[in-house]
Amino acid sequence: MGNPAPSTAARARRASWLTLKAREAMEAWLFVSPTVAGFLIFFAGPLVAVVWYSLTEWNLLTQQMKYVGLANFRDALFENPDFWHVVRNSAVFAVGLVPFNMMLALTLALGLSGRFPGVIFFRTVFFAPVVTSAAAWAIVWKFLLQGESGFVNQLLATVGIAGPNWLREPDWAMAAVIFTRVIKMVGLNMILYIAALQAIPRDYEEAARLEGATNWQVFRWITWPLLGPTTLVIMVITTIGSFKVFDHIYLMTGGGPENGTLVLAFYIYEQGFKFFNVGYASALALIMFAIVMVLTVVQLAIRRRDT
Amino acid sequence: MIGRFGPKRLRIVSRVCWTIGLSVAAIPFVFPLLWMVSSGFKSAAEIFGSPSIVPREWRWLNFVEVFTYQPFAQQYFNSLYISVSVTAITLVVASLAGYALARLRFAGSSLVGLFLVSALMVPEEVTIIPNFFLMKRFGLIDSHLPLILLPVFGPHGIVATFLMRQYFLALPKEVEEAGRMDGLSTFGIWWRIAIPLSRPALAAVAIITFLHSWNQFLEPLIFVSSLDKFTLPLALSNFTDPYGAPLWHLQLAATSLSVIPILVVYLIAQRQIIESFALSGVKG
Amino acid sequence: MKVLKQFLAAVSVLAILASPATAAELRFTIWTGNEAHLRMLNGFANSFKAARPDVTVKFETIPPDAYTQKLTIQIAGGNPPDAGWLMEDAAPTFASAGVLEDLASTLNSTKDYDFADFSKPALGLWTAGSKVFGVPFSTSPFVIFFNKDMFDKAGLEDPIALAAKGQWDMTRFQDVAKKLAAANGKYGFEFKDGQGYDSRIMHALMPPIRAYGGDLWANRQCGLDTPQAVGAVKQLHDMVFKDKSIAPPGESADYFSGNAAMTINQISRASLMPKAGFKWGIAPLPAGPAGESPVIGQAGIVVFAAGKQKKLAAEFVAHMTDKANVATAAQFFPPARNSVLSGAGFLGSNNLIPAEQMKFVADAIAKGKVLPSHEKSPQILAAMKPRVDALWRADANVENSLRAVCAAIRPLL
Repeated sequence: MGNPAPSTAARARRASWLTLKAREAMEAWLFVSPTVAGFLIFFAGPLVAVVWYSLTEWNLLTQQMKYVGLANFRDALFENPDFWHVVRNSAVFAVGLVPFNMMLALTLALGLSGRFPGVIFFRTVFFAPVVTSAAAWAIVWKFLLQGESGFVNQLLATVGIAGPNWLREPDWAMAAVIFTRVIKMVGLNMILYIAALQAIPRDYEEAARLEGATNWQVFRWITWPLLGPTTLVIMVITTIGSFKVFDHIYLMTGGGPENGTLVLAFYIYEQGFKFFNVGYASALALIMFAIVMVLTVVQLAIRRRDT
Repeated sequence: MIGRFGPKRLRIVSRVCWTIGLSVAAIPFVFPLLWMVSSGFKSAAEIFGSPSIVPREWRWLNFVEVFTYQPFAQQYFNSLYISVSVTAITLVVASLAGYALARLRFAGSSLVGLFLVSALMVPEEVTIIPNFFLMKRFGLIDSHLPLILLPVFGPHGIVATFLMRQYFLALPKEVEEAGRMDGLSTFGIWWRIAIPLSRPALAAVAIITFLHSWNQFLEPLIFVSSLDKFTLPLALSNFTDPYGAPLWHLQLAATSLSVIPILVVYLIAQRQIIESFALSGVKG
Repeated sequence: MKVLKQFLAAVSVLAILASPATAAELRFTIWTGNEAHLRMLNGFANSFKAARPDVTVKFETIPPDAYTQKLTIQIAGGNPPDAGWLMEDAAPTFASAGVLEDLASTLNSTKDYDFADFSKPALGLWTAGSKVFGVPFSTSPFVIFFNKDMFDKAGLEDPIALAAKGQWDMTRFQDVAKKLAAANGKYGFEFKDGQGYDSRIMHALMPPIRAYGGDLWANRQCGLDTPQAVGAVKQLHDMVFKDKSIAPPGESADYFSGNAAMTINQISRASLMPKAGFKWGIAPLPAGPAGESPVIGQAGIVVFAAGKQKKLAAEFVAHMTDKANVATAAQFFPPARNSVLSGAGFLGSNNLIPAEQMKFVADAIAKGKVLPSHEKSPQILAAMKPRVDALWRADANVENSLRAVCAAIRPLL
């Protein structure tokens, strides 16, 4: 604050045509204008549009549009048996993926947050799939998980296990997609946890140890609570991400077998861009929006109650 | 028992167990990549004929055929220039808005912030249909512009904005105030002071944005239809002959070509890259 | 300011580049990227210049898997091509949606075109009353490709010899496939391109079902639960899971790289054979209880109603499908013009397949039926797929599974 004040002339010049506050506000709006314009054009506008579309029956190919009220929602929620099957699949996917991902991430992070020879190597290895393109990852796993001649099953055969036809049986296919997706993404969450663990001051743990706390007690009463904010972020990101999964499904199973891996994001795409039911797909999109929103709000609320 | 293994021995034993455990756990993370590269050198018949990781004969020709089979070089370039453009534009737009939200006082700032937060929760799939019609109106179907505009202004761009905002908030205010005293305009302060100080955040945003764009699948699938406008992920799923039968050896060779450069960059800069991710998550 | 000026300069350059050229350009979508195909197509475009010197035709390759879908997206996205290929399963969908231009007047007014030369059955999918929504350019029957070396090793007569004796039927097919598998340690048979459980369900199921005298549907009734269809599919199911002679789901056993002894495909696939490294031949599909019933896959050339140069595009279609050009195209794509089919040239048109084997192709075109198609094909296929998946389990009850397929598609028929 020891700086010399700006020349009175400059101050007078500014003040003469705009107050400082108004000027700052104007500049701020200039700064945010690309983001706000983009938000309005590519997000807010489309969100309003999707509400309108969801009330129509609209075929992409014939380009005929007709207002049908809530028929699409009625169709999805009460008439089309596929819809609830798809919601169930999405739920199974999320319930399988989120805890598995988070537990694996935390376990790896606990093992790799310290300093020992090879720690950097392992971090690099576990993180490598994150920078591998998702398409490449899914394609390679599709090969590895082939029936009898697939590598995984040949490997299992050497120890006398007859592996299932992974991508051909609905439950195994779902498990396989969840597993490959977790392996692909867990490195990211691991790094977030490592960063959080390293930010925890050592003296908390040391103090607890002096009082004779076991490893588990240290984790349960010190580490875990301090990881709370990170856990929340990871949980929200991973949950939203699990509903967005598209490329893995598209490339590994195409929603099959027997619709066993047909999840919401893929179903919306199929309805909209394969069968050209724009109205129905829009209604599905809104339902998906609602589900994700509710889940996020619930997670945040639980967190708030706990702290 | 403990008596025979002193605490030090015990630590070594547990260290060794840990390392073995980690090595086993690492298999599904690295093996697919090894298998991919090795199969890229095999013939179509050998990929499923023999499980050996070392090809019987090294078919370098696969890597040539990849480029003659479809305009793979063009597709590679498409992905590269789209990802670079998305990254560059996102950096500018997000840091401008992030700075304003962090530092400038203006009517409506909290409203803007609130709107943007709500966008974070919305998967791209929700707005993809209206965006398709929007792009149709602009005449941009089968062009690359949707693949650049949507990530910049979509949920991902908003994540970037918040990352920048968080980082700017944590910067010491004094330097910027000094700049203002020296007669710098707000733009000048942003450009000459705030931006140079936030290199780590910019790097984080750049890396996650690049990877996000590089990985995009749904958007190219919908907006692009000609072969020479394909991006890499689409091109990879397109190693089928003119009748739709898969060409596994070429597909795996192409997949290797698409993954390896990024992987090499990652191995060289792994420390910075991993730190950027750490930064992006904790602050976000 | 400088930046702004540069930006404006760049924008104006772009605007100039993007401004429409004076000469007309037709966009024509295809699903092949094969060089030989493209050379031939560009030849048609060049000869079109004789009549229309200012017109160029640009062929745009869209991958076959997503062809119909991407085409629809282009049309709906306001970026329609002028003309293009269309697969048989999309023809009724597109025609009923009103996105195809009626070509009748152009074709009838083109000199020496002789539209009546096209075989009537081949036009079934592409005409409605006097309207012509497309001209078939490929009317390609399915044939059996076999690996002669594997037959020799198993000491078996090949399908050509069996067919000559009238013994090439479904029972023999099952028997031969089983022996081939045992003798060679490879699969006896692979569905079309290994996709019989995925994108080629129709190509896997239809030939045996028709050989047994059934069909997928007829008169808006599902035909899959008829005894004929059930019998045919039961046989396939036994071959996959009991005999283990057909490559099962999730398994890659590529015929063209020598991992299966027989497959089913169209003659355009012969282009892969020179590289295959084994002796081979083509034979008719095995006959069934209902006798011979060849199955044909078809593709047509259409003009899109949303295009801006419909008249010109229609003229090009007429040019592409005139007698001379259909004869040229016959080397890859079996023709639907009677004059070309019956001409001496056709049997010798494919330099990979000897004339006596091309005879099977010509016979099949004459007697065969096109794969089933429907205006709701995409939805029907999507409804079938998960239920057909359930069929391809080792412990599946074939009859019940087929009933479930019927239940799923009945509302759509």
